This record gives sequence, structure tokens and C-alpha cells, in this order.
Amino acid sequence: MNGVAPGALANHEFVRGLADRHVALLAGAATLVTFEPGHRLFEEGGQASSLWLIRSGHVALDLHVAGPGRLIVETIGSGEAIGLSWQGPPFRWQFGAEAVHPTTAFELDTGVLTDFCDADPELGYLIVRRLLAVALHRLHATRIRMLDLYASSHPPVSLP
Amino acid sequence: MTTGFIPARYRITERYGETHDTVTLAMQPVDEPIPAHRPGQFTMLYAFGVGEVPISVSGEPSGYGLIQTIRSVGAVTAALCATSPGQLIGVRGPYGTDWDLPSAAGRDLVIVAGGIGLAPLRPAVVAALASPGAFRRILILIGARSPAELVFAGQLDSWRERGADVRVTVDRASSGWTGNVGLVTQLIDRADLDPAQTTAMVCGPELMMRLSAQALCARGVAPSRVRVSLERNMRCGLAECGHCQLGPLLLCRDGPVVGFDQAAPLLAIREL
Repeated sequence: MNGVAPGALANHEFVRGLADRHVALLAGAATLVTFEPGHRLFEEGGQASSLWLIRSGHVALDLHVAGPGRLIVETIGSGEAIGLSWQGPPFRWQFGAEAVHPTTAFELDTGVLTDFCDADPELGYLIVRRLLAVALHRLHATRIRMLDLYASSHPPVSLP
Repeated sequence: MTTGFIPARYRITERYGETHDTVTLAMQPVDEPIPAHRPGQFTMLYAFGVGEVPISVSGEPSGYGLIQTIRSVGAVTAALCATSPGQLIGVRGPYGTDWDLPSAAGRDLVIVAGGIGLAPLRPAVVAALASPGAFRRILILIGARSPAELVFAGQLDSWRERGADVRVTVDRASSGWTGNVGLVTQLIDRADLDPAQTTAMVCGPELMMRLSAQALCARGVAPSRVRVSLERNMRCGLAECGHCQLGPLLLCRDGPVVGFDQAAPLLAIREL
């Protein structure tokens, strides 16, 4: 791990508001990475061991299926986090991820992050709350998408 | 000009298929034209022998012609979608409130459209783009089920070239799609907004509008500065029959465009 400047990391949505000492810890576990379009961040079924905080660009979460091939589930953009599967069994990626556009991100080694959180329960609590907020946001969006938001028979004015 | 329930005859001059179930019709008056519309207003379109439906105007308010975009969801709309150049339809209107674009002058204009909801917003977009410098910024956020179901897809690049920041997201990406995948509300979450300087116009299915308006308000935009286009069962267009009543509003007269400060409490009442 090379580490990144705490000041740069502190501006990311996921980190914003944390105490300086916590940001400094996280910065020590982070690496600034750059991905060209088409670069695979991870593959479905692989060992989940990183959390990426996107600074710029877009990453697509995807699944490979027979027939249509690669199905994009969702795109994750600037200010957002990608890579949640390390938080619970089986600790393997549930989807794949590929950079859609030139993308920069802070990559956090989740083994180191977990050690920090275990050693500092206050940091651990704050990180878990933020990860839960990300997961809740995704769950909410997924439920809404299941409603087929745009395909309803409710266009702007009523049509019999 | 139409009076009361008597429609003016318009002849279809062009028919353009937007998606598998949505067409845009260009029409010219055979009789005296209806008055010029304001962006956001609707007309009652009459498929002779079939029935009449309210459809928002999707064309710019210039000349005598009309441009309207229709999704085939029932017998009347199917009949309208099936018309071809040369055929006649009846038109009454225009009716209802508009987006009040002039009140957004000097501010950031944020357009949020879901599916065919871009159609009623298109006149506001076209009018805004025709007034360079009138708005600090024009941000257009569009959501659709899939790339194939984007309406006015061929115009988005020209809107970008004219200065608009146009962002599109779809629920289901097709092969080759390199844009966003996810809810239109996620585009709102990601947008660099200046809430105090933002006026937003939101149109789409009611749930999409409610969630989008809530997302805008969560970002700090005042509910009174978020306008939504509500739908109910417009029949007469003259605020006489009461079919389009939503609480204290008769939407054919008091709507379709209302502020979210007024709409939000009404949309939360189940029986309305």
C-alpha cells in the first residue's frame, strides 16, 4: 500500500465528516488507482478484498449470462463506493465490475480496513454505518427498479 | 379556434415512430387553429369515431402547427398512434397550467424526465435552448427502461451541442450501451446542484415524479421550485366535469403543472 494524502481522501463523500485521525488511518490503507475503459476491477466469484471509492468516471456492475453475455446491473459513479461483498460470507464478489469511462478511485485494502475497525470500534461503527447507508441506498433503488418505473400505464396525462 | 367541446380539425403531416409504442405526430390546422400553447400545456386529441384523450404538447409553440407525442396504451391512443399523414384528427385546447419557464430565468434549470415524460418537457427544453444566456445552466436528466425506449433520442446530442448538460440512465442496458444504468433519482444524487439557484421541472409516471421531487428536495431545492406534471382522468378540459379532481384541484385547469409544495401532500393521500 502506498497510501494517499488524507486531504484528498477526506473530500470523498464516503469519508467526508470523519475525524482527521480516522481519515489519516484510512488514507494509510488506500491507494489511488486509475482504470481505462474496459478494465475489469473484479470478477464474479473472486475473493472480495477491496473497497473502491470512485473519484471520477463510471464503473459498471455486471453479470455474465449465457445468451446476451454481459448484463449491466448498475453503474456506479463519482462520489460513490463499489465493492461491498467483503463484508459478509461467502466473501466473494457477487457481480463483476468494469470501468466504463476513464476512472480514478481510492482503493482500500479491506483486510487492513477491518483490522483498523477492530482496533478502533468508534471507527468501525462509523464505517459500518456508512457501508449500511450505501447498501440501503442500493436496496431502495433496486426495489424501485423492480416496479418498472417508466413502463407504467401512467404517462404524463391520463390515457384511457 | 375551438369553443367548448367542438374540436378543430387538424391534418397529420408527419408521423415519426419514437419507440415501439410511441409516436410523434406533426399536424397542421384545417380549420382555424387552436391558440398557441405554452410549454407544459395539453390538448384533447380526438380520434374520430373512437374517442378523445388528453395529450401534452411536445412541440415548440411556434406557427400554427402542433407536435404531440403519444404512447399507445388504450383504444384511443392506439387509434391516434395508427394515424398516418393525410388523416384528420380533432384538437381542443390548449388547456391547463404551464411550466412557467420565465420564472426560472437567471437560475439553474433542471429538467428531470422519466420515459414519455420527456414529451411535455420538450417544449420547455426547446424554449430554454432558444434563449442562450437566459439560464445559468440547463441540466437535463432522463431515465428510461432501456435505450430503445428513449424518446427524442436523436435530439439529445443537438441539445448538448447547444449547451445543455444531458445525462441519461436506463434500467436495462442493451449491448453497446456505455451510459448510466440505474434510477433517474441517482442522476439527481450525482448532479452538482446549487439548490438555492435551482428550478426543477419533473415529468413522468407519478411514482417517478414523486421520488425525483423528493430527491431534489433532499438536495435542498425548495419544493415550490420543483414543478411536477400531474395526471388524472382529464375529460372535458374545461374544469366542468370533475373527473380530474385531485383534492382541491381540477387538474385540467389547476394543473397539470403544479408545484411540489402543493402536490406532495395530495400525492400522499391514498384515496386521491
